[in-house]
Amino acid sequence: MQVQESGMIFVHLYGKLRRFAADSDPRSESVLVVPWTRGTVADLVGRLGIPRGELGSNIFLNGRYAALDSTVSDSDRLGLFPDDMQLLYKWYFDPELVTDAKSEG
Amino acid sequence: MDRILRINMTDRTAAFEPVPEKYQHRAGRWLTSSIVHDEVPATCHPLGPNNKIVFSPGIVTGTASPTSSRISVGGKSPLTGGIKEANAGTGWGRRLASLGIRAIVVEGQPKDGGFWLLKVTKDGASFEPADDWTGKRLSEIYPDIFAKHGGKDAVDVCSVGAAGEQRMASAGICFNDQEGRPSRYAGRGGLGAVLGSKGVKFIVVDNTGAESVPITDQAVFDGGRKKMASALTEHAITKPEGALNSYGTAVLVNIINEAGALPTNNFRKGRFEGAAKIAGEAIFEGNKERTGETHYNHACSPGCIIRCSNTWHRPDGSVHTSCLEYESAWALGANCGIDDLDQVAELNQLCNDYGLDTIEIGGALAVAMEGGVAEFGDGARAIELLHEIGKATPLGKILGAGALVTGKTFGVARVPHVKGQNMPAYEPRAIKGIGMTYAVSTMGADHTSGYTIAPEILGVSGKLDPLNPDKAELARNFQYATAFIDTTGHCLFIAFAILDIASGFEGMVEECNGVLGTDWTADDVGRIGKEILELELDFNRRAGFTKLDDRLPEFMTLEPLPPHDVVWDVPDREIDRVFG
Repeated sequence: MQVQESGMIFVHLYGKLRRFAADSDPRSESVLVVPWTRGTVADLVGRLGIPRGELGSNIFLNGRYAALDSTVSDSDRLGLFPDDMQLLYKWYFDPELVTDAKSEG
Repeated sequence: MDRILRINMTDRTAAFEPVPEKYQHRAGRWLTSSIVHDEVPATCHPLGPNNKIVFSPGIVTGTASPTSSRISVGGKSPLTGGIKEANAGTGWGRRLASLGIRAIVVEGQPKDGGFWLLKVTKDGASFEPADDWTGKRLSEIYPDIFAKHGGKDAVDVCSVGAAGEQRMASAGICFNDQEGRPSRYAGRGGLGAVLGSKGVKFIVVDNTGAESVPITDQAVFDGGRKKMASALTEHAITKPEGALNSYGTAVLVNIINEAGALPTNNFRKGRFEGAAKIAGEAIFEGNKERTGETHYNHACSPGCIIRCSNTWHRPDGSVHTSCLEYESAWALGANCGIDDLDQVAELNQLCNDYGLDTIEIGGALAVAMEGGVAEFGDGARAIELLHEIGKATPLGKILGAGALVTGKTFGVARVPHVKGQNMPAYEPRAIKGIGMTYAVSTMGADHTSGYTIAPEILGVSGKLDPLNPDKAELARNFQYATAFIDTTGHCLFIAFAILDIASGFEGMVEECNGVLGTDWTADDVGRIGKEILELELDFNRRAGFTKLDDRLPEFMTLEPLPPHDVVWDVPDREIDRVFG
């Protein structure tokens, strides 16, 4: 998929994923500002070099429970939690959105 | 377990009686709700002579089953006026179970005032005057109580703090953890006030001479126990060095904040700028800096293999408080706009020491801030107010009566309660499934009464999805499963694993069959859960509750919550279909 980069998004990282941001202090916000216009979460994760196996099912797009195949657009906020930080009761949300990284193949 | 210990505080007598046939397989929440339903007049005054307090360990409590050292405590709540089951993790219930005591029922009321220490042994209960222990911080007196009664290897200690002595509706019932600290609470609903109104300061359980909990079919039990242990050690949330063991429940602070559902400044918005400073990661990191060691969490009670309980340390490396749960970090932190972890820890410790439910107190403080008693974010002032509560000054008594009374006193309309109980740490406008649980729970706004609502029902987007009967049934079934777990004696956190790993769920049922000699299947989980809910719903109806009490506060229907800018817009008829 062709990804143009005339916009930007804000990727909030937690736990061991904070190492991909400049400020990795666990007590602050570890935010990556990424040039981006449109693409999936999976595309983004691949571009950033975040290993899929380190992701859990707690992926939030603009505060909404999302998944690896959700579309991320210019000015979006994406929150990524690692596989050892997925405590939210996923049954509160649409089960189609709950994907484990491992099941994505 | 074969007997009930009935303690009468009017005459100060105690006697064993056999478990009646109708309660044959009941324990934990099933038994506390049964006895409250059958014996407590639903219209009684919760602080009067006709209310009762019932303690019951679960079906598998005291056996080798992992993560099953929970105690259920039931009664009519002075906070909501309805039935309540509160639940704590502690070794106290295991000792009762080993003595063959399936429940302790405390009834009556002293005519002459005064407080008592009840000593429970295999022979019954004796009464010692306890007035000298009143008005003190629990962490200062627990060591002395242990010393007088043989130490923490010999006894476990249940108590009320100053708040319970003063019959405050936010008073919880305290139990010791494995270090002997007064830190494990059957917190919600003001049951500490009920125990205090009966003149009970301590219940000390000494199980010298006890035998092990009898198991009817050892092979079936062992099979179930292994499946349970397997599920718990396999699941990403419950396994060693998984989410709970590493960060504790406080890991939720950052997650719920990212979801825009972390109630901030008395439920004014769903994101808190200071969230990361009071989250599980901050606790983990701060501990490392202050002690030079990496701290994984510990077990609150014997036999727990999840080990989610944390400890927060002071700059000098000494222990400040244990345990700082998600709900407490939120209530005393984000909900009050406070982002200083040391101040939040101090507020938590003061709640533990004065005998208070951290959620209700956090709610009351936030409402008081809205009412002008303090500024949001003023942690130092919040600490002063906590001391007022502990010392039972007039202002302290208002706050100790909970968020709704505080709101009425200060003319605050925005009180985030259902049935008089302040909401816990999930904003219902942002996560509507949780709002449904708050509305229909028999316990008031409660997040533990039913872990889940069917995800198809409501999404974060605010769009209404029509409920069809299948979805309402799914919602009910999860509430039933929760009630069943509360009956087994297991910690509710097993749900993460066993609702994902089918063999874990089977294991839970097989453990019970092994202990009781029953032939339950997964269907019986729903059947029993339904019976429990129906007892509780019936009690509440007779206490005067109607559908109008299954509603969220008006302000949530009017004020859009940032960042999602959604209001609570679930039609009443949809709420009424869950138990309708």
